[in-house]
Amino acid sequence: MTSVPLLEVRAVVKQFGGLRAVDRATFEVGEGSVTALIGPNGAGKTTLFHIVAGFLRADSGQVVYEGRSILGKPAHAVAAMRMVRTFQLTKTLEAMTVLDNMMLAGPNQPGEHLRNVLLRPLAARRRERALRARALEVLETFDLAAKASDYAGTLSGGQRKLLELGRALMVEPRLLLLDEPMAGINPTLGARLMDHIQRLRNEQGMTFLFVEHDMEVVMNHSDRVVVMAEGRVIASGEPHAVRRDPAVIDAYLGMQRDRAADG
Amino acid sequence: MSVLAVSFASFTHLEFWIGVGVLAAIYGIFSVGLQVNIGYTGIYNFGQVGFMAIGAYAMATLVVKARLSFWLALPLASGMAIVLGVALGLLGLRLRSHYFAIATISFAEITRYVIQDLKVTGGTAGMLGFETSWTRVATWMSARLHLAPKYYLAPLLIVSWIVFLCVVFGVRALLRTPWGRVLRGIREDEDAVRALGKNTLRFKVQSLALAAFLGSVAGYLLALDLNYLSPDAFTSDTTFIAYAMLVVAGLGSFVGILFGAVFIEVLLEGTRFINLPLADERVAALRFIIVGLVLILGMAFRPQGLLGKRDEMVLRD
Repeated sequence: MTSVPLLEVRAVVKQFGGLRAVDRATFEVGEGSVTALIGPNGAGKTTLFHIVAGFLRADSGQVVYEGRSILGKPAHAVAAMRMVRTFQLTKTLEAMTVLDNMMLAGPNQPGEHLRNVLLRPLAARRRERALRARALEVLETFDLAAKASDYAGTLSGGQRKLLELGRALMVEPRLLLLDEPMAGINPTLGARLMDHIQRLRNEQGMTFLFVEHDMEVVMNHSDRVVVMAEGRVIASGEPHAVRRDPAVIDAYLGMQRDRAADG
Repeated sequence: MSVLAVSFASFTHLEFWIGVGVLAAIYGIFSVGLQVNIGYTGIYNFGQVGFMAIGAYAMATLVVKARLSFWLALPLASGMAIVLGVALGLLGLRLRSHYFAIATISFAEITRYVIQDLKVTGGTAGMLGFETSWTRVATWMSARLHLAPKYYLAPLLIVSWIVFLCVVFGVRALLRTPWGRVLRGIREDEDAVRALGKNTLRFKVQSLALAAFLGSVAGYLLALDLNYLSPDAFTSDTTFIAYAMLVVAGLGSFVGILFGAVFIEVLLEGTRFINLPLADERVAALRFIIVGLVLILGMAFRPQGLLGKRDEMVLRD
């Protein structure tokens, strides 16, 4: 399965003091793929995510999205290019309603500009109606429609994950970066979340890159796997090939050996 | 019991209460700006009095020194406060919230010292003679309403309350737009909002500029109330008293500010009349103790304020 890369990460380096969190990481995310970024704790996955999404500045390297270099672009500009990220610790806007969480994410709302609030209130209202309809539609698919007018802070952990994914969809993303979408939710809900991802990829051609550290979880849900360890990309390819890669086995087993030694 | 006697004589003087009403409206307008920042955007503005000083002094300087029309000086003074608000925002809002709070206090103090040391603003001697245009309006209003001369502040009371009500309901409407929704999102979690493609710095700067504008309006109304400007009128206590109004009002509530402003002003001014065998400056200090006590009791028994939403407060942990 070779396709045009939507995202290319080239020799990205990020140093925190004496720690090289990301060390010349290089990989690609093919258009329309579900790519998993895996690796043991501390491998640099989340740091790399921050860099790609514009939340952190890399020391060197390149990030190319849709054929254009985006390194150094601020986070909001990256998101406006329809590359949208979620967070490891879910960031629901707790004292706002579920519906407000969703509608806030809608792009091209003229009413977000002060001059339009005064000069073009009708355009803002029209966009608001469209966003509301779209938000309710997305909430429906995630079984959250009944919660639309509840405060997001009253949702369960799993529902928050779904809300965050739904909210990201409001931005109409081409590439979705999900940071540990299945962390802290029960396996049933996790499976449902992955089903949603498959469906969005199949029906809308959306591309996904998601971080996970449990190798077993990603096997059935991704078509490509990128493995990181100690800041470097040590392997990438199809899940079953990667699983047999000696470097990968070493990285994971090495961890287990260390654990055994600690115990 | 004569030790704790309260002289009620002044309580029955209507002109005294007119003065309290004017101050309530002025500090209410001032507090609406703070509410936009702290209650809606989550930015800690502790320098609001700086914008008030700029509004008041820019207006007075333009009228007295530049001989500009009073009516033209008002928008210019507000424009200047907005420009400084934008500058403070662009420089300071990249800081983390608590450091920004310190930057805003510094801004207010620097503003006051600059005003105190500049020749054009009259320095410590202050400024006089900027209100003649307003006095003409006030005289006309008094004549039309057949007011006795001792109620000379009544026209200002009417105007400042009209402005206050317009500000409360206008800003409330503004924050119910998609623009206001982004501000609330920033208050909840700025990174989440950035990740959704919003330039959060722009919204935060606009929020601060709106507060600066409201501060400047409160500033020139205060100038008209005092008839005399001195740097001492713009110390940081003003900002903290306005925060007390917000605590009474409830975080996030604009209508609550109508009550919070009146309540705190009445408390501040009403406590003047408690007769104690103490020196005047001690009585003045005692007023702040009473205000503080009321705030502590309020926090303990009604932490969301009069009209704040308890749910939102609890959810925000």
